[in-house]
Amino acid sequence: MPAELGLRGLPLRAQGITAGYGGDPVIRAITVSAVPGQVACLVGPNGSGKSTLLKSLVGIVPVTAGTVLVGERDVTNRPPEDVARAGVGYVPQVDDVFGPLTVRENLEMGGYLLRKGQVAGHIDRVLAVFPRLGAMLGRPAGKLSGGERKMLAMGRVLMLDPGVFLLDEPTANLAPRVAAELLEEHVRQLAAGGAAVLIVEQRARAVLAIADQTYVLGGGEVRMQGTPAELGARPDFIESFLGGRGDHARPPGSS
Amino acid sequence: MNTFYVINLLIYAGVDAMACLGLSQQFGIAGVTNFGFIIFQAAGGYAAAILALPPKSANGGFQSYIGGWNLPFPVPWIGAAIVGGVIALPFTFLVGRRLRGDFAAVGLLVTAVLLNLLATNYVPLLNGDAGLSLIPQPLQSRYSPQSAAYQWTFALVAVVLCALVYLFVRRITESPYGRTLRAMRDNDVVADSLGKNLLSLRTGMLVLGGAIAGLSGGILVSYVTTWSPAAWGYAETVVLFAAVIIGGAGNHLGAVLGAILVPVGFEEVTRFIPTSNSLPPNLIPSLEWVAIGLLIVVFLWARPQGILPERKRVITLPQAAPAPAAVAAPQAPLTLVRPAAAAGPEIVLETAGLTRDFGGVRAVDGVSLSVRRGTLTGLIGPNGAGKSTLLAMLAGTLRPASGTIAYLGQDITGTPAFRRARLGLVRTFQLASEFKRLTVMENLLSAVPANRGDSLRGAVAGRRYWAGDEAAAIARARLVLRRFGLEDFANHYAGDLSGGQRRLVEIMRALMAEPGMLLLDEPMAGVHPNLARRIGHELTALCREGMTILMVEHELAIMDEFCDPVVVMADGAVLAQGTMAQLRGRREVVEAYLAG
Amino acid sequence: MALFLASVGFGLVTASVLAIAAVGFTLQFGVTDVLNLAYGAIMIAGAYVAYVVNQAGLSVWIGLVAALAVCSAGSVLLNSGVYAPFQRRGTSPITMVIVSLGMTLIIEFGVEAVAGGTSVSYTMAQGRTVQAGGLALTAVQLAVIALSLVVMAGVHALLRYTKLGKAMRATAANRTLARNCGIRTGRIITVTWALTGALCGLAGVVFAIDSGSFNPTSTDIFLVLILAAVFLGGPGQAYGAMLGAVIIGLATEVSAAFIPADYKYVIAFVVLLAMLGLRPTGLLGAAQ
Repeated sequence: MPAELGLRGLPLRAQGITAGYGGDPVIRAITVSAVPGQVACLVGPNGSGKSTLLKSLVGIVPVTAGTVLVGERDVTNRPPEDVARAGVGYVPQVDDVFGPLTVRENLEMGGYLLRKGQVAGHIDRVLAVFPRLGAMLGRPAGKLSGGERKMLAMGRVLMLDPGVFLLDEPTANLAPRVAAELLEEHVRQLAAGGAAVLIVEQRARAVLAIADQTYVLGGGEVRMQGTPAELGARPDFIESFLGGRGDHARPPGSS
Repeated sequence: MNTFYVINLLIYAGVDAMACLGLSQQFGIAGVTNFGFIIFQAAGGYAAAILALPPKSANGGFQSYIGGWNLPFPVPWIGAAIVGGVIALPFTFLVGRRLRGDFAAVGLLVTAVLLNLLATNYVPLLNGDAGLSLIPQPLQSRYSPQSAAYQWTFALVAVVLCALVYLFVRRITESPYGRTLRAMRDNDVVADSLGKNLLSLRTGMLVLGGAIAGLSGGILVSYVTTWSPAAWGYAETVVLFAAVIIGGAGNHLGAVLGAILVPVGFEEVTRFIPTSNSLPPNLIPSLEWVAIGLLIVVFLWARPQGILPERKRVITLPQAAPAPAAVAAPQAPLTLVRPAAAAGPEIVLETAGLTRDFGGVRAVDGVSLSVRRGTLTGLIGPNGAGKSTLLAMLAGTLRPASGTIAYLGQDITGTPAFRRARLGLVRTFQLASEFKRLTVMENLLSAVPANRGDSLRGAVAGRRYWAGDEAAAIARARLVLRRFGLEDFANHYAGDLSGGQRRLVEIMRALMAEPGMLLLDEPMAGVHPNLARRIGHELTALCREGMTILMVEHELAIMDEFCDPVVVMADGAVLAQGTMAQLRGRREVVEAYLAG
Repeated sequence: MALFLASVGFGLVTASVLAIAAVGFTLQFGVTDVLNLAYGAIMIAGAYVAYVVNQAGLSVWIGLVAALAVCSAGSVLLNSGVYAPFQRRGTSPITMVIVSLGMTLIIEFGVEAVAGGTSVSYTMAQGRTVQAGGLALTAVQLAVIALSLVVMAGVHALLRYTKLGKAMRATAANRTLARNCGIRTGRIITVTWALTGALCGLAGVVFAIDSGSFNPTSTDIFLVLILAAVFLGGPGQAYGAMLGAVIIGLATEVSAAFIPADYKYVIAFVVLLAMLGLRPTGLLGAAQ
């Protein structure tokens, strides 16, 4: 039985986010939220802006309109180090570990904001969640396999007990079985422990199985949202997911 | 004012301007950052010296050096230019693309220092630290070099030669070849994909710049009659770079201006500063160097384009097309599709068992597909399906581990990318890849495969040689611009356009190569839906004219409306093929997308 | 044989100076991605700061402390005031090299403007000569070697065992991820330049001590040795710089026993060009 994590959850509310890399915005007027204790997932084809949205929430991509609230705190366009201090843990899709540093040192960096005495205890807690990491503490992170790196990336984020977890396609490049294990065991446990989880995924089927709330993105906008059950019942869900039919000009349900 | 002072000024101005023109051509136009530049001037100087000097046993034998053939003017100067050019050839290895730009720059700088060190210490070569002196001046046996007439003539010759060099580099820069050089400067990866031979371009520029620098060294040596390593340390290269940056990199007049302001200007300014015994003797020269360093940093920060920035090349388009009756010979109508492909075999592109691995993962797993002539074929699939890898293999930027590719019946599996482009198989890029500091028109013209002016020889031959090909290219570009509604933007810098317009430039540029088949990599990414639909209509029209297009896209509404057939890939293999409507009804396709 | 052993002795001293310098240079590159070619100029500025203190009647070792402070502060200013703003604008690496060359001119010839171009030397006792197994080194030379070993141990301890050192390595490896951990990378970078600037000043003073006499352009060639050591070990790798320093330091001095002394630096040039051409990531870096 995985250790009880006891995370203090914080609600994440992103309202009307328009953001981009300069020039034309990649995402327009997106409103999503993540509730403590629940898993919210963002699905949609490539190029729909999912990664950009997460990056704009943690201060990597500039937000030109809208607000991001973590709990009561406005973190819109705050630098990433401040967003981390607000209680947000972000696991990027690539470049998610410090390659030249050992596994232990990666975790220590994850616990950078902790007091000196707390670090060892937090590392033990993370190892209880990801026991495989315990055997590799001295190994450079760059030498880990794909699945082990993802575990390390998530463990690094766990060190700080964040109230909000943002995960960018954590199962990309993982074998289906490992991916399923990651989602069902670890991601679901994060929410079960009290944190708010916002996860972006391409593997829609797998993530819908654990999601409480789903947003379908397309062309930089939210095309539809609801619980998996609600969306599954909609005739245009698959079409919308397979692209571009969620045109605002067309009435919903038309083929 | 002392007459000899003016003569001195003119000669130094001529020599420095000439060297700066060589650097401007290399660095400003072609983007070859050669921190060893001073070596070429030095080599030229030494070459002129040892060609002109009598054997080393002469003059009391107190100098030791190689050569010494006492050759008459103008052989030393010709030799200087040749040596300057030849010595540039070994430098081509460090200027290759593989090494990070700043690492290569450091390597070149270090090479300059090393050669200076060797010349200083290895005395038998070029008399080491002391350098060469008593170098004979041109025609000194017939005329008296001390006379004002001789010196004025010398100055005149120096200035005239500098002017000739200016006209020469201008002729090269304002040709299609010059445009290719600037394109390489802006984005060498894309220039490569358009079929430009980067190595040959860079080598050409190194040799040309080297020859010009060598000539300037030869002229200088003939005037000052001495030449030692102290005259060409790494600091001298920095001065020349400062001159070109301050005057305006990319503008040859700017290079001349920079030469007058920096090397000459600094030298002259010191004459007017009153010397005082209470100040340390080297204070002024030291402060000069500080000032040059400050100017470099300040200009790079506040005005990187220099005092005279690079001019925009505006190509005026004639208002109305000439009336058909005025045309003497009937011309073939301008088509955008290569006739060999439009009227060629039914199967334009065919692959068999293409495979490719990436970091232990099988990115493409035995893909066999055929693309029929005149179709707008879509290629879709979830992330990681292998679409980009497949496209790269079709374009030639990646080699397959196994399998074959045939274009118009011809096996092209081993053919490099730029040659496929010349055969008519052209790709576009996903990321921004326009040449930002070229106008839209120039971007299009740079993609024309066969222009007589697009070679060093053609450039040197002059405008009359390539005017015909250029006019034909411009006519074609105009046709393409009109098709896509961007004729009004022809003379805007491509970097100033909106994202959607830049995507159009990408496609238009591919059309300039008269392709038989287009490989489009996410042409609608980030494009407004209306514009995307416009592009779709244009692509369909091209297909009706015989073009074949394979398009990777994520916006499935576009696939739905325009593409038939659509090929779905997942996990490196082809899953299914058909119209979007058919595919949407197939379980495995839906599963592939939902399973991700 | 005696000549050979003597050159080994010189080589150890050169390697010691080089190690201090190269580690500072490579850490600056690792954390900021800038080849700070003005490093040599700052070194000689530090040497002159110690000279001024020395001329005022104090020991060179006290002057050393002053040099540490001045070069540390100067390096922080150089990065915050010049390099970082250019980098924020997206300046290309080649242009950054030109910028650093400009700064080299400003600093090196600024020193020359103030101090003059003639060579000077410190007023200091060399101490007695110590013989050990054929090697003969003065007390001062031994002190330089010992100082270098202490500094290397200190750098090792910093990077391996302290939170700051690990944060520096994390920032060098992945700046954005470091920020996601809550690390204020701006401050880490400032501290890195302060520490490496101090190393630079230290290197300048011991370089001047080892050279005997020096002038503002003395470090021009030495910078090439630093680059050779850095690229031999791998740019950004602190341990690589140490290894490179030992190899280059010994190789240049030992080669002087066999070829004319004027050419002893040629081997460093050749090593540098070979590494750039064949393996730019260095001996300790990952293969490309």
